[in-house]
Amino acid sequence: MIKKALATLALSAGALTALSPALADYPERNIEGIIQWGAGGATDNVARSLTPHVEDALDTTIVLTNRPGGTGVIGMNSVLTKPANGYTLLYGAENPQLYPVMGLADFTYADMTPINVIGQGLVVIAAPADKDWENLGDLLKDAQANPGTLRMGGTGAGGLPNTVLAMINSVDELDVRNVTFGGDGPGITAMLGGHIDFMPLSLAAAQEHIASGRLKGLAVLTKEPIKQLPEVAPITEALPEIESYLPWGPFWTVAVRKETPDDIVATLADAYEQGVANEQFQQFLTKNGAQSLNLRGEEAKQFLDRWQSVTAWALEKAGSAKVSPEEFGIAKP
Amino acid sequence: MSKQSKLQPGEPAFNLMLLLFSLGIFYEAYRISGPGFESISSPGAFPLGLGIVLILSMVVIIAGQFRKQKPDTQGALDEARQFMSAHFPLPIVIFSTMAIGYLLLLEPLGFVISTLLFLFVSMVYLRHGRFVSSAIIAAVSIAIIYSLFKLLFQVYLP
Amino acid sequence: MADSFTYFLMSWTDLSLLLLTAIGTFAGIYIGAIPGLSVTMAVSILISFTFAWDVNDALALMVGVFCGGVYGGSRTAILLNIPGAPSAVATSFDGYPLAQQGEAGQAIGLSTVMSVIGGLIGVLILASTAPVLSEFALQFAPRDYFLIAVLGLLLVGSLAAESLSRGIFAASLGAVIGLVGMDPVTAEGRFTLGSMQLLGGIHYVVVMIGLFGVAEALFQLHQLNVKPVRQNVEKIIPSLNLVLKFLPLSIRTSIIGVIVGALPGTGGDIASLFAYDHAKRSVKNPSKPFGQGAYEGLVAPESANNAAVGGAFVPMLTLGMPGDAVTAVMLGALVIHGLNPGPMLMVTTPYIFWFMVGALVLANFFLLIFGLMGIKLFSKVVELPKAILVPLILVLCVVGSYSLNNSMNEVYWMLGFGIAGYFLKIFGFQMGPIILGVILGPLMDNSYRQAMSSVGDSMPAFLIELMTNPLSIVLTLAIILLLLSNLPLKRMIRSSKNPS
Repeated sequence: MIKKALATLALSAGALTALSPALADYPERNIEGIIQWGAGGATDNVARSLTPHVEDALDTTIVLTNRPGGTGVIGMNSVLTKPANGYTLLYGAENPQLYPVMGLADFTYADMTPINVIGQGLVVIAAPADKDWENLGDLLKDAQANPGTLRMGGTGAGGLPNTVLAMINSVDELDVRNVTFGGDGPGITAMLGGHIDFMPLSLAAAQEHIASGRLKGLAVLTKEPIKQLPEVAPITEALPEIESYLPWGPFWTVAVRKETPDDIVATLADAYEQGVANEQFQQFLTKNGAQSLNLRGEEAKQFLDRWQSVTAWALEKAGSAKVSPEEFGIAKP
Repeated sequence: MSKQSKLQPGEPAFNLMLLLFSLGIFYEAYRISGPGFESISSPGAFPLGLGIVLILSMVVIIAGQFRKQKPDTQGALDEARQFMSAHFPLPIVIFSTMAIGYLLLLEPLGFVISTLLFLFVSMVYLRHGRFVSSAIIAAVSIAIIYSLFKLLFQVYLP
Repeated sequence: MADSFTYFLMSWTDLSLLLLTAIGTFAGIYIGAIPGLSVTMAVSILISFTFAWDVNDALALMVGVFCGGVYGGSRTAILLNIPGAPSAVATSFDGYPLAQQGEAGQAIGLSTVMSVIGGLIGVLILASTAPVLSEFALQFAPRDYFLIAVLGLLLVGSLAAESLSRGIFAASLGAVIGLVGMDPVTAEGRFTLGSMQLLGGIHYVVVMIGLFGVAEALFQLHQLNVKPVRQNVEKIIPSLNLVLKFLPLSIRTSIIGVIVGALPGTGGDIASLFAYDHAKRSVKNPSKPFGQGAYEGLVAPESANNAAVGGAFVPMLTLGMPGDAVTAVMLGALVIHGLNPGPMLMVTTPYIFWFMVGALVLANFFLLIFGLMGIKLFSKVVELPKAILVPLILVLCVVGSYSLNNSMNEVYWMLGFGIAGYFLKIFGFQMGPIILGVILGPLMDNSYRQAMSSVGDSMPAFLIELMTNPLSIVLTLAIILLLLSNLPLKRMIRSSKNPS
């Protein structure tokens, strides 16, 4: 054990000090991976469990650093200001696709080349177990009978709960008090204490609490029931019209600056494809209620475009977009 | 700092600056809320309150000035001179300039060279010479910092 | 029960676990001591580092780093007046004056013993009452966090020793600094002046390094020719009598530490300030006046911030909810290692709980050993001539603030705060209240708005909730009591007559 630790230490120290040979191919030194969310969050967990497999494939060290802040704007901006030589990677979530419509920044993933769209998280609308509602339909009925009194946990403009609320509002009516928390964790804590009434959450964050019986799932954001929560109804049962938005969920991706040379992009894309396909990482994704996507190249771009168009227009329809997606040439779904 | 009820040289001017700063904060806070105050939980509500507290506490501090004796100075120029000699003697001014120079050189020259230079020059200046020991101390401390941060903790250095 | 005991002893009997805990604690002390290297950062680096390891090995190392790191912050706070971490800010109030009087060794010795006592009390409470305590913590609604923040801001009264109005100004200034950045609710910038960099806010460690480290370094330059105080390195390990004398205070402040640490929204930084305030209010005859090297001012925050470690594990192990930033990262580590942290953790993998408790106790013993080692050498740091010490402090501040985000922006801010802090210090503004504001400002803003939006932005509804919920009533009464007992008009009048 200790031996292994020492070996790892020696290896990483060696990799850091070794002067790179002059004519070596990419990658000839350490790569910096910038995570646009804080330590311990979903994006951070994905990045840290994926990277060791990619390091094996690339045969170099990827030094991960968290640059959280401003819904990920800070981290993405720092990657965009570094040279486009493939030595700075962004580990990002879905948020950049909404920056312009939320008036946060004028860049999106369109300013980058996706290396890999790793996977997509599943979403569940959860409530404390002692609520009377059995499903989303009951919640909607209650909310329409008492408009503006139910307390929904949110994570701020552009966050997952607000987007889900906007989607629901673009096909139905759900008038609630939006109480903002610093993330899924603090929101769940408040819900366990009964300080909020419901909250749309990533399955990864909610599943253990639903399993323990302290929270219950009202609906999952899919067309079919999912195997992790077979007894929770898909959202289309209460809101059939929402189907056009599905499949939908937060996703994670690795990207580099758009100007990065093609051969470097190809090298990285190969390594990440291999890394995501790794069995151990696949298990990690499944266990955390996420679907593996492992998309690269054109497929990845199409995925990003579709996600952006669906979400941005849903926000616009619900009146939550600060700037119309039309202004940025985001196509209607 | 001083306990006697006498104003320090420069105190009225500094307090005035802080008051202006507080007004600036208030204005910025007002801009956050926008002209129409949307609700009591709007983003500007708490900043606006802070702005008011800043202004009020500064007004109390400035009001307190009138109960204190004026500093023993002749005119604003003399006051500024006294302030400088009390709080900004030459070593502090020169050291601060070196520090700023160090920060500016940090990225162009890289961490090791610029830090070595800064440590050596500032130590030689502050110790009035002693070139050899300053150079040794500078080199040893860099070696320690570099190995600790870069090699052990994998922290990026400029 | 027998099983629990076996799990508890796991890290004690397995040689590699024992060694890893020891290494972690040792490394943690030095990581914690260096401002800018945080425990959170170290633990997230460890996640990648220990990826392929067995989960127990990884956890043992992380627990060690956590315990060592929280303690380590006090080192630089005492020796150089640069708190290694926000939770050591209160330690510098009396620790640094002690070092200036030649008692750095005694200060470190005492703070080590008190940290260990605090740490052990924290673990004890974790082991005995975790499920109850976490249910209690869940009862805290946003409005209660708001009340806690208000209670915290009242500490200005005891932190700003000389002038209350200056203290209030400083705390509000700190709160403004804390609010800079993107508003978490509406995603618009506040006090950012349109700058993209400022959207991410100003890291409070930057403020801390600047105000304490750089400003103090500049002040030191006034004493270039003063011979440094010779350090008394006798009797570094506090006598049993001394420890027993402070034990009641240590126990009281440890309990404050555990509770504040167990609340998911607050951590060791706030706990140590509360503890310092408690010491100041409850100890009538300190060994020296507070702020001038009172041992009590060292005992209280050091017991509390280490006790808060045990507290932080309460929601983590019972609910899978982080009690602070470090436990958030450790939860990530559990996920990556294939465990399911959550309310079921104690049911599905009960060994984790007792294993952690065991490792925490072990780490505290190592802390006692490593903490008391090398104190003589460290006290000598204070004896270094200022002409050598001051440039080194500045370099350390630069590296520390740079490594927060790998960017020069933080370094410029740090220097800016240093110079501003120097000016503020000249005119009698104190640094403690500014840091208090930076820490509590965002908590207050957030919880106030959460509380308001949960009652539909209605002030009457808010007041009704305040007066009907038992927890809120208690907190409100505490605020009123504190206001009445500590901010009497007498003090206001005296401070306006006799400012700075």
